[in-house]
Amino acid sequence: MELNPFEVAKKQIDIVAKEMGLDPNITRYLKSIERALIVSVPIMMDDGSLQIFEGFRVQHSTIRGPGKGGIRFAPNVNLDEVSALATWMTWKCSLLKLPLGGAKGGVCVNPRELSNKELEKLTRRYTSEIINIIGPDIDIPAPDVNTNAQIMAWIMDTYSMNKGRAVPGVVTGKPIEIGGSVGRNSATGRGLYFVIEAMCEKLNIKLESQTIIVQGFGNVGGWIANLLYDRGCKILAVSDISSGIYYKEGLDIDKLLEWVRKGKYLKDYKDERYSLVSNKDLLITECDILIPAALENQITKENADEIKCKIVLEGANGPTTPEADKILFIKGIQVIPDILANSGGVCVSYFEYVQDIRAYFWDLERINKELKRIIIEAFEEVYKIHKSRDINLRTAAYIIAVQRIATAIKFRGIFP
Amino acid sequence: MIDINPFESAKKKLDIAANVIDLDANTLKYLKKVERSLIVSIPVNMDDGSLQIFEGYIVHHSTLRGPGKGGLRYSPDVTLDEIQALAFLMTFKSSLLELPLGGSKGGVRVDKKKLSINELRKLTRRYTSEILPMIGEDINILAPDMNTGEQEMAWIMDTYSMNKGRPSPGVVTGKPIEIGGTVGRTEAPGTGMFYILETLCERQNFSLSSSKIAIQGFGKVGSVVAQILSSVGCKIIAITDSEGGIHSDKGLNINKLISWKQKGSTLKDYEGSNMKVITNEELLSTECNILITAATENQIFSRNADNVNCEILLEGANSPTTSQADEILNEKGITVIPDILANAGGLCVSYFEYIQDLHSYFWNLERVNREMKRILLKAFEAILNLSSKIDISYRTAAYVIGAERLSKAHELRGLFP
Repeated sequence: MELNPFEVAKKQIDIVAKEMGLDPNITRYLKSIERALIVSVPIMMDDGSLQIFEGFRVQHSTIRGPGKGGIRFAPNVNLDEVSALATWMTWKCSLLKLPLGGAKGGVCVNPRELSNKELEKLTRRYTSEIINIIGPDIDIPAPDVNTNAQIMAWIMDTYSMNKGRAVPGVVTGKPIEIGGSVGRNSATGRGLYFVIEAMCEKLNIKLESQTIIVQGFGNVGGWIANLLYDRGCKILAVSDISSGIYYKEGLDIDKLLEWVRKGKYLKDYKDERYSLVSNKDLLITECDILIPAALENQITKENADEIKCKIVLEGANGPTTPEADKILFIKGIQVIPDILANSGGVCVSYFEYVQDIRAYFWDLERINKELKRIIIEAFEEVYKIHKSRDINLRTAAYIIAVQRIATAIKFRGIFP
Repeated sequence: MIDINPFESAKKKLDIAANVIDLDANTLKYLKKVERSLIVSIPVNMDDGSLQIFEGYIVHHSTLRGPGKGGLRYSPDVTLDEIQALAFLMTFKSSLLELPLGGSKGGVRVDKKKLSINELRKLTRRYTSEILPMIGEDINILAPDMNTGEQEMAWIMDTYSMNKGRPSPGVVTGKPIEIGGTVGRTEAPGTGMFYILETLCERQNFSLSSSKIAIQGFGKVGSVVAQILSSVGCKIIAITDSEGGIHSDKGLNINKLISWKQKGSTLKDYEGSNMKVITNEELLSTECNILITAATENQIFSRNADNVNCEILLEGANSPTTSQADEILNEKGITVIPDILANAGGLCVSYFEYIQDLHSYFWNLERVNREMKRILLKAFEAILNLSSKIDISYRTAAYVIGAERLSKAHELRGLFP
């Protein structure tokens, strides 16, 4: 099913605007993208041919501060997807009260088909092409799908060479040696953990006795599976792009993580007690907490009715479509929305940025303490609205995020 | 009008040229892409208190040979494809004339007639602020185009200058003379068209002063060329504006029509003896020696090209002829002077305005026209030589010359990083 993600993002704004009685002028404003830059990224390939890739950088809103959002390298990247992701970043930053706006970037490329040299050239050329609209006080990219600390280092280097001075604050998710932050890799997973912990407290259930299914076993899925496993939860199933893997008594996450760290696929993991399960079936397997931590549009109106869990914890961005959201609500399944659940990543990205611009670095303990403080404060605010207005957590989160932006627009006014 | 993707149709012209010269495949791939396109939202507080959000674009097709150069248009049906096609055309125009400039274009999707002057000013200033990182004397220099003129350019210059904290007249051309504009700019496309036509007629032993001329469009381009041509004795037998126009075998009095038009009236309402009212479609099939299309894009297309009844077609507008129509006209033996040469006087004098601004030293009209004539005729000469040497149309020759120069620049610069 092909859903235009930007249409989904706009629909969400409409739903919230109606719920909170937002000024239609502000609604219109929020449904538009401040700016979207489309660039050609020409690369001389190793074989001597010229290939031209299409790159994007979108700033949905810089009302509350510089844009913040990841850069993804994937063959299906398009303007609508990047615009939707930028919009979600606006809400996420606003919900966490970070002094940042929402942005996103991407290049339409399959990085697996590139040599390391080609990947470096692609990254450097893309950075040069978007150089006028990024910077510590304009827009700060970060890693996303198929981008990592090395790619962030190339971006930082290209930008710094262009400016003639070291500018670590232009991008986050860098290696620690050039201005990265401790605790960033685990941040999204850790944020998910803090949120689900708080949620269980509210619902008066014991986190350690819950059964868990995680779709995705990368930077987000791997970490949350690991943290919950350490807490004592049974992880019934996890998946990567090759397959899902299931065991009703609970998987050995330590061993699986070791396996995938060697660059291997889950489908090749050998343990006769475990069975392979498709991504499709994985989502509808019975458990207490389902954590979609892979891609967008995984829970849709086609499969929402078959979801059998108590809580959906959205580790990925936009894993649940609006129609599916309604179905889950009717079924009484609590959905902890992406903009709250997975905001640990942007939160520690923000810490990295703050550390870079102050040239003063924190230890892991401080990172995790401040992350918990910010994310729990947002969770409490969302939970309160959810209870007092009897609306789902997503709408509650959106109301808070949108209200903060709307107030900022009113204060700033319209230039000129 | 017909519905075709303007960028696809523009690229076809390059394909034809690339075939002729065996253009390097990598260069061809490169030139068929747009360097960068910025899409911006332009929120404007309207006079009635509501907030409206317009969509704006700025496209750099190529900055291989210098800063981007191209016009800014306000129109309710502007699309990204259209802006990309126009930016593409500007690249080849700049290259053909050997100007140290690239190709770009800007646009805002707005019906200007529905805005108050106050709203228009806010829109222009906000658009300028939004595209700020993409413009500048050394990045990209805008100019007037459809529905924009001196006033908009003055607002852009002011907004940019206030933002930078210094007067920056070179950020935009087509400004009023009082703030760094140049003499001769408004008349430049029309004057340039006349130089080209004059040279062509000399070459072909064709008497310009005794020819009959039909002109589509009576704006900045059409009215100027009409005036110059009638002053040298040509008979302008038909002319139209967007709502149609008039035809007279005896020739029209252009000066009278210009004053009529200045009163805000339309041509079809003009009353005179021996005249008949015609549509734009009828104008294009008028029997004449020289047909000038100086209105808008895609006017001559596959279905009406066969009705065109002239010896020379001079393209005053950008892309008035589609690729299919071009083939039909070629078969009919009609000499087509392509837009990228014919109307390049506008770009040429825009370039003069830019260098005058950069040098803070201003020329007189005589120098502007002399230098324009030199540049245009040099380009025309190159086209004439090439097209007679390898038997290709003027349009293809123009693209070949433009593409070769760009290809050389691409080769010399190499690929960053």
